[in-house]
Amino acid sequence: MLRYILKRLLIAVPLMFGVLTLTFFIIRLAPGDPAAFFIQPGISPNVAEQLRQQYGLNDPLPVQYLKWLINVLHGDFGRSFSRAQQPVFDVIAEALPVTMTIAILTLIANFLFGIIIGVISAVRQNSFLDRFLTVTALFFYSMPEFWFALMMIIMFALRFPLFPVSGLNEVGAESYGTIGFIMDRIWHLVLPVTVLSINGAAGIARYVRGSMLEVIRQDYIRTARAKGLSERAVILKHALRNALLPVVTLMGSSLPFIFSGALFIEVIFAFPGMGRVTVEAIFARDYPLIIANTFVSGIMIVFGNLLADVLYAVVDPRIKL
Amino acid sequence: MMKSNKLIRLFPMLLLIVVVSLLTACSKQGGSKKGMAMTSGARDTTLVIGMLGDADYLNPVIGASLTSSEITGLIYPGLLQGEFDTKTGLMNYLALEKRFRPSSGDPDTKSPKAALARTWSMSPDHRSITYILRNDAKWADGQPVTSRDFKFAYRLYGNPVIASPRQQFLAELVGAGKGGVDFDRAIETPNDTTLVFRFYKPVPEHLALFHTSLTPLPEHLWKKVNPREFRESKLNQQPVGAGPYRLAAWNKQQSLTLSSSASCNLPKPGNIKRIIYRVIPDYTVRLAQLQTGDVDVVENVKPEDFAAVQKANPNVDIRTIGLRVYDYVGWQNIDGDYYNQSGKIRPHPLFGNPAIRQALTLAIDRQSIIDGYLGEYGVLARTDISPSLKWAYDDSIKPYGYDPAQAVKLLEQSGWLPGPDGIRQKNGRRFSFVLYTNAGNARRNYACVIIQQNLREIGIECKIELQESNVFFQNLQERKLGAWMAGWAIGLEIDPLDVWGSDLKKSRFNFPGYINPRIDQLCDLAKNRMRTEDARPYWIEYQKILHEEQPITFLYWIRETQGFSRRIQGAKLNISGTYYNIDDWTLKPSIAP
Repeated sequence: MLRYILKRLLIAVPLMFGVLTLTFFIIRLAPGDPAAFFIQPGISPNVAEQLRQQYGLNDPLPVQYLKWLINVLHGDFGRSFSRAQQPVFDVIAEALPVTMTIAILTLIANFLFGIIIGVISAVRQNSFLDRFLTVTALFFYSMPEFWFALMMIIMFALRFPLFPVSGLNEVGAESYGTIGFIMDRIWHLVLPVTVLSINGAAGIARYVRGSMLEVIRQDYIRTARAKGLSERAVILKHALRNALLPVVTLMGSSLPFIFSGALFIEVIFAFPGMGRVTVEAIFARDYPLIIANTFVSGIMIVFGNLLADVLYAVVDPRIKL
Repeated sequence: MMKSNKLIRLFPMLLLIVVVSLLTACSKQGGSKKGMAMTSGARDTTLVIGMLGDADYLNPVIGASLTSSEITGLIYPGLLQGEFDTKTGLMNYLALEKRFRPSSGDPDTKSPKAALARTWSMSPDHRSITYILRNDAKWADGQPVTSRDFKFAYRLYGNPVIASPRQQFLAELVGAGKGGVDFDRAIETPNDTTLVFRFYKPVPEHLALFHTSLTPLPEHLWKKVNPREFRESKLNQQPVGAGPYRLAAWNKQQSLTLSSSASCNLPKPGNIKRIIYRVIPDYTVRLAQLQTGDVDVVENVKPEDFAAVQKANPNVDIRTIGLRVYDYVGWQNIDGDYYNQSGKIRPHPLFGNPAIRQALTLAIDRQSIIDGYLGEYGVLARTDISPSLKWAYDDSIKPYGYDPAQAVKLLEQSGWLPGPDGIRQKNGRRFSFVLYTNAGNARRNYACVIIQQNLREIGIECKIELQESNVFFQNLQERKLGAWMAGWAIGLEIDPLDVWGSDLKKSRFNFPGYINPRIDQLCDLAKNRMRTEDARPYWIEYQKILHEEQPITFLYWIRETQGFSRRIQGAKLNISGTYYNIDDWTLKPSIAP
């Protein structure tokens, strides 16, 4: 197993390198100019040129690439063009905790609710409860999330002002003390996490229901029942463990989400997370920041997939790595 | 079996209970927190402004975004106090003991007490200006503000390594005519309170005042910073100024808090104790925050939302500033592809003829775009001189009305006759083009659709294509678009050479490729008048020419509309800015419970 993991990690190195190189060239080939903001009336015509010079964008592409490569190999991904020359990893370090808090809470809620709803639907297949849950899940699953988020704001922040409209904390929350600050943060996270997890849980519930239905028709389930095990043990111990195999894949592929963030939630609820960093970097043609983001999310995808494969082996003894 | 079934049945119930109790706990918690955060006392001394994006550098030398300029304007002191006279549309400059122009009786005049300069004098040959500074101004760290701080800052503004967006303010200083400003000769500081600027050519006084009033930086703090690391310096994030406010906290991409600077004597600490700028990227959410009263000011509220906002919260007021922004439909006057290949000029096959462009303007029902979208917040545009600049604006020009019949006449006179498919043709070429605009602007989308319909009615086919802003802008610069819709925000000093100059290489924003040497002449003549008002005849002729030749179809001026909480008092908005006198604003205390 350890050998397998090492092998996978080694393969990931050229893979990441390839991804970064591709990104490097693609963003430079895309139309648009990082200094375009400074081309406007009232700003000296020299500014854009001077900035391009500073950013090294006037060099021929191969030279730019070589310089970039040397820097990256030294671990220097450069400074952001659009965010006041902050080192790119500082920008990411500021955004990442926000995104991770939301994403981890969301993932827990997703899988918890998704699995529970899926199991209930499968065990009580074709009952009223199953139909009700299935229809409700589909209803939320097919709803555009940004719209759902706005509706939640209108309902629970404007009509019934239970929750704040936006932001991570109340203005001046620093003065509440640690517990007060955390409670204030949680209070601000209720709406966004609800929006994200209702939608996600609905999807997972569909997976779990499907795979559970398949499993409970297996012979060994009948055997378990015939042994006289309680229904609870049959479902939770024998059936669920096997039914969760495909869900493990989902879990692995959800990992990048923890780091890439959900753009619409960040825009609507005004959270300074990774989604906004990425999209704003793209719109501003902030090359170093785009590359650094690609790097972080690329690594996460590699790890996510690896984790899913390893988890497979852990939960299913038939699989050998 | 029964037992486990029951358990499963209990699951949703249990869940519901857990969720509900969690939610109520949170909301209770929240409720009390809300009370704590903004006890009516704290709220009464805090102004909250909703912003689209965060500030970049809190440094007047390199700050580029409007938000940054507004905030640095409150943190840093100014040499002079600038003022826009809404009666004449002229800029005025005030020092403690001197005004550039007498007051025109405009009630919105600002006190000159914030100026660092006591007075100034312009040399008779208009080649130098001498300021006498006050001697009691201090930076927030207690060091005096001296003339050397100005000289030091001007060196930074002019340093190509720093790439200041304001470096063109130095364009008239000694040496600038020959490559680089000679700072030792151009700026002299005989003593702490005397500051002399020298120009290489005679400069009108209003321009000299405008260009020499860049914000100073405290030399004693910044001299240690290497220009190469200027943009990276921590001082950009922790500015030391001398203005009515100082930076209290900055959570990047979330909020920026200013607190009234108690030591400020220029002229006094800001009235409102705290100003918080909150970053709220989504427009709908900014509006919601204005409705709930969490935010006091939201800029650029769309006219279609006024009624709903004011119905939900009668405490919201809509304030407008002058006419500074217009939308237009651009026509490529010259053949862009041919120009790009050969560098030579020949008229565009569709839009090269002024009569055709007139016909297009006549065919577009501009008033119905205004009525349908902007309502009372739009004004039909004649040229790019704003009606707010009253001293230069030509009221006698009769704007083109909506007259499809006249448009058809002009088209047929030029040989564009109806073809078999209903689209006009000339020499086998159909009058069909793509109208490009940037994605994500509801107003322009609305206008595009009306224009498409209007043109279809006179036999012109117009397809609409939306492009991402960066791509759109690059295509405009490369003259790849035949027709497009965009807008300009004008400066308060009229200087349109960048937009209409005949030298297409130098005039970076002459996207339509409009060439008329008389326009260049008029701009030069106007610039060389020593008194702004004396240039009026040139600007009148300029407007007549643009109106006649319609290089672009000017659509409408937009009155920018800002949502204000009614608890803000003393706010005087005008074309020079929404937050023009924010240090004089006060907040009406909330009614005691």
